[in-house]
Amino acid sequence: MPFLESHLLGVIVAAPFLAALALLFVSPTRPGAIRAISLVGALVSLAGSVHVALGYDLARGGLQRAERYPLVPSLGIDLSLAVDGWSVSLLLLTGVIIVTGVLASWTLTDRPRDFFVLLLVLVAGVFGVFVCQDLFVFFLFYEIAVLPMYLLIGIWGSRGKVPAAGPFAFVWRRFDVGGREYAAMKLTLMLLVGSAAILVVILALYSAAGGSTFDLQALARARFPRELQLWAFPLLWLGFGSLAGVFPFHTWSPDGHAAAPTAVSMLHAGVLMKLGAFGVIRVGMLLLPEGASYWAPTVGGVAVINVLYGAICALTQRDLKYVIAYSSVSHMGVVMLGAATLTVDGWNGAIYQMFAHGMMTGLFFALVGLVYDRAHTRWVPSMGGFARQMPWVASFFVLAGLSSLGLPGLAGFVAEFLVFLGAWQSQHYVWALAGVLGAWVTAVYVLRVGRDIFFGEGPRSDEIHHLTDARRSEWGALWVLGACLVVFGSYPRLILDFIHVATLEYLPRAAGAASALLEASR
Amino acid sequence: MNLLFGLSPFLAVGVGALLLMLAEAFGKPNVAPGVETTDAGAGRAGELALGAAVILVIGAVLSVAVWVAGPESLPELTQVAPHLVIDKFTLFFSFTLCVGGALAALLAGGYLPEHGIDRSEFFPLLLLSTVGAMALSAAGDLLTLFVALETMSLGVYSLIGLRRGSPRAAEAALKYFLLGSFAAAIMLFGLALLYGATGHTDLAGIGAAVRSIGSPGSTVSAGKILISLVLVLVGLAFKVSAVPFHQWTPDAYEGAPTPAATYMAVAVKSAAFAVLLRVLLVGFGDERLASWGAGWPPALAVLAVLSMTVANLVAGRQESVKRMLAYSSIAHAGYALVGVVAAMRSPEAVSAVAFYLLAYTVSTAGAFGALILCGSRGAEAVSYEDLAGVGKRHPAAALAFSLFLFSLAGLPPTAGFFGKLYVFRTAIDSGLYTLAILGLVNSVIGAYYYLRVMVYLYMREPAPGAPRAVTMRSGFVATALVAAAIFVLLLGMAPGFTLDMASGAALTAR
Amino acid sequence: MQSWIPVLVYLAIASSVGVVMLGAARVLRVRARHVPPTRAATYECGEEPAGKAWIRFHPRYYLVALVFVLFDVETVFLAPWALATRALGGYAVVEMVVFVAVLLLGWVYAWRKGALRWQ
Repeated sequence: MPFLESHLLGVIVAAPFLAALALLFVSPTRPGAIRAISLVGALVSLAGSVHVALGYDLARGGLQRAERYPLVPSLGIDLSLAVDGWSVSLLLLTGVIIVTGVLASWTLTDRPRDFFVLLLVLVAGVFGVFVCQDLFVFFLFYEIAVLPMYLLIGIWGSRGKVPAAGPFAFVWRRFDVGGREYAAMKLTLMLLVGSAAILVVILALYSAAGGSTFDLQALARARFPRELQLWAFPLLWLGFGSLAGVFPFHTWSPDGHAAAPTAVSMLHAGVLMKLGAFGVIRVGMLLLPEGASYWAPTVGGVAVINVLYGAICALTQRDLKYVIAYSSVSHMGVVMLGAATLTVDGWNGAIYQMFAHGMMTGLFFALVGLVYDRAHTRWVPSMGGFARQMPWVASFFVLAGLSSLGLPGLAGFVAEFLVFLGAWQSQHYVWALAGVLGAWVTAVYVLRVGRDIFFGEGPRSDEIHHLTDARRSEWGALWVLGACLVVFGSYPRLILDFIHVATLEYLPRAAGAASALLEASR
Repeated sequence: MNLLFGLSPFLAVGVGALLLMLAEAFGKPNVAPGVETTDAGAGRAGELALGAAVILVIGAVLSVAVWVAGPESLPELTQVAPHLVIDKFTLFFSFTLCVGGALAALLAGGYLPEHGIDRSEFFPLLLLSTVGAMALSAAGDLLTLFVALETMSLGVYSLIGLRRGSPRAAEAALKYFLLGSFAAAIMLFGLALLYGATGHTDLAGIGAAVRSIGSPGSTVSAGKILISLVLVLVGLAFKVSAVPFHQWTPDAYEGAPTPAATYMAVAVKSAAFAVLLRVLLVGFGDERLASWGAGWPPALAVLAVLSMTVANLVAGRQESVKRMLAYSSIAHAGYALVGVVAAMRSPEAVSAVAFYLLAYTVSTAGAFGALILCGSRGAEAVSYEDLAGVGKRHPAAALAFSLFLFSLAGLPPTAGFFGKLYVFRTAIDSGLYTLAILGLVNSVIGAYYYLRVMVYLYMREPAPGAPRAVTMRSGFVATALVAAAIFVLLLGMAPGFTLDMASGAALTAR
Repeated sequence: MQSWIPVLVYLAIASSVGVVMLGAARVLRVRARHVPPTRAATYECGEEPAGKAWIRFHPRYYLVALVFVLFDVETVFLAPWALATRALGGYAVVEMVVFVAVLLLGWVYAWRKGALRWQ
């Protein structure tokens, strides 16, 4: 199948989209067919991603499998696709998450067709961002990935109420904080502000590079003037950072994750937030190396705040989804921390953390969804002793939790270890210390939440005997994600090799600018 | 023969308008037996709408044909210059105007019978007004400019007041008429002053005279030129409804029958932008006037920022969707004005504005059309509450509405996104970073109220017992929506061809 | 500016005619001690005035007036054309025929739509 082989990346991106298109022609009253088509679309992408990973020539490195389709020739916009080591790992992550996400929403009954259409369009955008080599189309895919979120949360979101309390209770009542409409609107508007900032920078870069191409490689070769880099990088950082949950633009994330339906939470925390971090590194740090090294201390400092603030917030939350959502904010801080170190280990760790955290948080949200389905509550104090009714769910929760707090042998450990190593190698020892402190706080809240929900005597333990363990399709999501955590945690080279190749190629550009900057300051 | 071919878009619509008028007058009333009517066109809205749409589509096709043949290669066209300047700029705009008019005609074909407005003169008036709008986009002479402006406006004044017996409509028509004539008078004063100061009525001659200021032997007074510039700007700012000359817009749109509001929002605005560009670049294209330090760019920049910001902030607080769309059209005038400001330095900005207006035309016409589809006789969808649950009652209307709102909000992959992108890119190319950033921030504010409509469409159920708008079904409206949707998606996903067309329009505007 | 002086003089004479006549009447009038009501009433060519002057007119008047104005203005346009026809040549005749034909179409429309019907 030479056609398939030479257009594989296009197929990976198009498969979910085509599946979504096909769904439009299926009667909404046939949920079985709808699920099957969605699953096929997701599986094709996953299989393609695996094939890309197996076929990636590690010895050669660089960009492989380049495909190019002209889109708007007069402006120099092409749909050009290619993979490097980073993309390979993130493709795999996205493939796994979308397949498990479809499995996790198998039992959805409210307008399943529209739900799966939006979900698949979203994931097509995510695949597109990871393999796209044209800055403009990169932005298009980014928007396609972000926008369906509005409807997904607004229509299928849960109505979990946040009790109004504290001095700002009137704000809660006024805006219906915790409601799905509030969450959807907040998320969309904050991300759109970020997109606006990104668009300004993209257009400025396009103009500065001669106004003839959006190609990432060509733009990376164009050496942008220092002043441009110095103002453009922070805009990009905050623009993409609003999606990556960079403090203080993270506030949409807990509300959004809490209100979103299970599969959407999985995709959002598991993959979508990574798009933001990927954008910062792929566009910000590679195209604007001088700006990146100038702002790296700020980026790292804010990332430290993210790690600690997110962890402390998670510590104080009582709503299960908010706990996990704030833990995502904290873990995305680790990604940004790794990126800010501008070291090989730091960057390897950052990308690996995207991968590991994606799997882990996907598993978390799948479990939370399961628990919520059965107990109809997300309020931690009203749960307890669930482990007797759902032992497997409890086991997987502990597994995800242990990965989250960085237990050696699980994927989370590899990532955090690399990031802290990178921080130590850079000039900022404090970052490593703060990161470790964050991991410790993580241990506290994860273990505490796990204990409160699954073990011990719950206040309603007489009412929970109707709870059941995971069923049929739900097993798929749990086992796949759990296995990934263990496999990639105990044998990280499976993914790390890919990441390392790309890091070695890209880092000298950014780090070179950093050392030049250091010399200039001496 | 070549002359006729070059003028064929104008002739087609003009002659078509007269024929349609006769057809309406000599038709047989199609009313129930026993109903007395003196109106020969009564009950014929469907056929007339179809006729008007066909004529306008022919006009659009002929515009493209002449564009492709190349107006440069038709030397006979100089015979009508400068009264009518047929260049690619004109043809691009006449295409946009015909498309906007055709969509409005189709919407009226569904709307007027549904709401019992049996005024068949709507269609001839619409066509005649479109002829005026097309001539306005071609006007290279102050006389044609004013006559075309009035031809366009007179038709619209009557279109607004067609819903007889409704105080709202009377208010809207009167308001628009009074303010419109006032603005026209101010502008006419400016034009007269311009003629007095330069001794020319053709824009090219005026431009040359303005350039001669300061050179030895020139008798042109800079003071009079500046005053006339201000007066002309005020008059045109009224027509494009830029803040602070926008006060009439929400009332007029709300009172007018929705298709008439559509026509005002798309065609009148586009034509006014065309003439604004031509007057500023040809008549006031002197470097001293078209610079950031003095002249019209800073004034227009203030208008642009005010329009975007005020309209977006006020639109978010509206309870009526129609008023919200009216404010949205004001905000879009602001975005397009950013492009006009950028045109002082970058010739590409002209094509950016042209493309933007085409994108805006199809999106706005679509949004109004979807709104029409959401309500029916006696239960017109007006407020946000009326839209609650339409996503379930009429999924197609809700889907179309969402698409057009996405486009208006400037989200990919729709026409509105590329329009905004193109305009802001030229702004950045011209070094207007602040304007571009303000524009983008405003687009985000705008997204709030567009998305709010979707909240009601999909996420709300009508309150129990509340009167609910019954959705209507109409082949005309559906056709218009499908056509607009095709345009929105085509311009959003494969804008290459249209972008090339628009960038051809840029070069000949000067 | 020299050439405009006759125009100004003409305007001055025209406006002074009205002002002078009215002013002279005011100065030269005969003042009566008692003004009977019939003499203070509006003089309408011997007819008894009925009702107030500030009344609503039937809109038909406007329609007729509009159609009248249309052709009135056409005449204004025709007069200079007639003077220049010889110089402009045959093309101008064709153009004027088109122009009048369009206006006639408008008149036919008004007729068909009942604008001239008085009932």
